[in-house]
Amino acid sequence: MASIDKPSDPEYTSSSTPSAPEGVDYFKFDVILRFLLFAASLIAVVVMVTSDETELVLYQGIPVPQPAKFRYSPAFVYFVAALSVSGLYSIITTLASLSVVNKPHLKTKLLLHFIFSDVIILGIIASATGTAGGVAYVGLKGNKHVGWVKICHVYDKFCRHSGGSIAVALFGSIVTVLLIWLSAYSIHSRIPK
Amino acid sequence: MNTLFVNRHKLCGVVTTMEEGQSKGSIINGMEGVESKGSREIMVAKPASSTGACDLVLRVLALLLTLVATIVLGVDKQTKVVSVQIVDTLPPFHVPVTAEWHYLSAFVYFVVANAIACAYAAISLLLSKVKGLGTLTSIVDTLMVALLFSCNGATTAIGVIGYQGNSHLQWNKVCNVFGKFCNQVAVSIVLSLLGSIVFLLLVVLKLHRRT
Repeated sequence: MASIDKPSDPEYTSSSTPSAPEGVDYFKFDVILRFLLFAASLIAVVVMVTSDETELVLYQGIPVPQPAKFRYSPAFVYFVAALSVSGLYSIITTLASLSVVNKPHLKTKLLLHFIFSDVIILGIIASATGTAGGVAYVGLKGNKHVGWVKICHVYDKFCRHSGGSIAVALFGSIVTVLLIWLSAYSIHSRIPK
Repeated sequence: MNTLFVNRHKLCGVVTTMEEGQSKGSIINGMEGVESKGSREIMVAKPASSTGACDLVLRVLALLLTLVATIVLGVDKQTKVVSVQIVDTLPPFHVPVTAEWHYLSAFVYFVVANAIACAYAAISLLLSKVKGLGTLTSIVDTLMVALLFSCNGATTAIGVIGYQGNSHLQWNKVCNVFGKFCNQVAVSIVLSLLGSIVFLLLVVLKLHRRT
């Protein structure tokens, strides 16, 4: 269509002044949420990795020390791997968000790229939470139909650690949902009215 | 003097405009009621049908995929006669054992989550003609992505345990006995995974169109 030639700076500043306060507010929330995501991922990974426990279990009448480690279950291994990926992603995006604080014209492009990767990371974190949660639930309650015995009455420290880790990962996935909502809202508000 | 050129990508109505001299990189869809300030942005009069059609097709696809995933797992049931030898002197007992989907809570979660996603896809299809609900649809779409991915993960984990067992925790594998049951679970997981990817595309496309 048509474009009118105008000097760039006054028009740009006059068009960006009404939206600058909202942009700054969203930007602060954006950085805070990304840092929260990094913290949640880090805590979840650390708590899960330090959950090893050895207990005396009766095996054919003799008490034998049996360990329970997170890497005995492929679900927990996937959980640690996925949360490590999300922790790395959140560091990168926090730094990227901080670096465009003084360059408003880069922010829109950055927001666009972030939304796609944010949704993918949401998928990864949510699937990791669901995976570990499913296995932990079977470990907690057992399943008599299939013959899987519960283990949490024996390995209480292991179950506490993995349960706490899964709760923190759930918080991380909620933070990612909020991030996507924030990016959607800030993109929506940047449409010139 | 700023020269403008337009690259129109026809994929689901995502239009990119690029301006020299100012790296704004913004994407605008003209049918959202956007008024151009007259200087920086290009207003593209795109018919809403091509962008809305892509959205509609994706929603129908999501509805179908989650519906089939729910049904495939919801009717999953297998009975097998297993011969159990208790004492050597007696002949082996033939015991019928059944595997049903609601014996495992992860599968219950899977069926419920896919049913919710299917119902939501149907409702959002009906409400897509109503203006002004785009933001709410995007918000709930994001929640659906999270829900579907988590139920996929839980069912996959339980399926892997059923398939391989877990020797450290003394959880025996089940799929050597109930082969058809496990195959149906696998098919259902794949369908739900495709459905969750469709929801992911819905979120991303709506947000790309909005800018």
